[in-house]
Amino acid sequence: MGYVAVKGGTKAIEASMERLTYERLKEQEIIEVETIMATMKSLIDQVMSESSLYSPFLAALAIKQAEGSMEEAVFLLRAHRSTLPRLYTSETVEPETMFVERRISASFKDIPGGQLLGATKDYTHRLLDFNLLEEDKTQITTWLKNFENNLEQTEGKVTYFPKVVDYLREEGLFETYPLNDTAPIDITKESLSFPASRSARLQVLTRGQTGAVTALGYASLRGYGQVHPTVGEVRVGRLPIHTAHPVEGSGNPEDDFYIGEIRVTEIESFVPITKKNGRNEEKLEFEIGYGICYGQNETKAIAMSILDQCLDHPEGDFPTHDEEFVLLHIDSVEATGFISHLKLPHYVTFQSKLDSVRQIKRGVSDDES
Amino acid sequence: MKRRRRTRILIEGNPILAKRLSETITATYEWKEIIAPHYGLTMVKMRESAKNSLFYIGEVLITEAKIEINGAIGIGIVEGMKEQIARQLAIIDAAYNANLPETQGWGADLLLEEVRINEQKALEQTKLFETKVDFQTMEMDS
Repeated sequence: MGYVAVKGGTKAIEASMERLTYERLKEQEIIEVETIMATMKSLIDQVMSESSLYSPFLAALAIKQAEGSMEEAVFLLRAHRSTLPRLYTSETVEPETMFVERRISASFKDIPGGQLLGATKDYTHRLLDFNLLEEDKTQITTWLKNFENNLEQTEGKVTYFPKVVDYLREEGLFETYPLNDTAPIDITKESLSFPASRSARLQVLTRGQTGAVTALGYASLRGYGQVHPTVGEVRVGRLPIHTAHPVEGSGNPEDDFYIGEIRVTEIESFVPITKKNGRNEEKLEFEIGYGICYGQNETKAIAMSILDQCLDHPEGDFPTHDEEFVLLHIDSVEATGFISHLKLPHYVTFQSKLDSVRQIKRGVSDDES
Repeated sequence: MKRRRRTRILIEGNPILAKRLSETITATYEWKEIIAPHYGLTMVKMRESAKNSLFYIGEVLITEAKIEINGAIGIGIVEGMKEQIARQLAIIDAAYNANLPETQGWGADLLLEEVRINEQKALEQTKLFETKVDFQTMEMDS
């Protein structure tokens, strides 16, 4: 399909943009970026994850500018990201270094180190809380004071938790993989090609649109896929990021720079797989589906772990096992951009389609007469 | 003290410490700003725990600065939009790289701050441990 540019409309476009500002300001209420950061954490987490840029402040600014539109906020942050230089690549972040805020397992009641519910809405009543209409700063201060004072004796040192799967691997129930330090593909630097490498696949999935990743993961569970996992471990916590000296390199990790932490959700799903052994007998084994994303977004990370496992088995006769189908349709900017471009002027192409239909109809009526 | 440990203390600790240490240097030595604090990205490389392979989870916004003191260049890098601390980190890094005598006396302060950071983290974790759950499976009627 060919495209032909249109011109004109400058005054109307300027007036439209002014109108947009008017719609944002007409109630004469201002929301501070700091307020969004403090009160809209889940929204910020989604914007950071889908735009693939960790910056709570910029995500909050994008949300303010986009007036709460997820797709617009992600677009803004992606666009801003493209204006910034990439100065460093971090040293490898090992998941075991996470400062864990939440850690649960749906597979085992008792896991080494215990299950920490952390902050979760899982067990809350989904009833609107009308008390929030009356909330004020004095109440908040009092509540926080009580919460912080009500503390048991500290154990004095921080515990880092082993992975649940480590114990199962020791028992030989899961395959053990040696460390694979093959340099990952970066899909922001080279185009995605198929079959995609595991690194490219994980990068596309982790920055996928929450709704799209969730929908495809759900489709797989419902029968449009062959993966039905049990969640082995959910973790929410903060990972330390280090980078090597740009000149000295990473000869000695002790000379690296610590630059801060990122908060992530990490999932390991256990998936039963039937394999054939040397005697052509079927045997049951477990594999792991892996999901991770910026911030606390457990639904997306679980759905990612399902899709990771689906795509690991391309022999599955469902679209959720087809990496082109999954990986090319879950990006927020690509999907919303392509859909929304349909509303922009297509006068010439549509006129040519109309002309074709008119000619066909004229032909039919000529034949009939 | 090596850079990895030192930068963690200066970034996670009380910001007054980095300010104080950097001011000790700037009050005594000539320093040159090679690169003023500016924003950029660090791509985060992660290991996934299913097959132990590497992938990129995404980028992190950082502030970077470079300072020269006595011919030695120091770099300050910090997550977020934090010009002041980036410059202070660069000054402190340059001071260590130039082997300035002041750095010899900083160890005790840094260690003290590290203790405080670790205590804070332990306190945070103790509070999180209040949410440690002990699920009991219910007996099923046969």
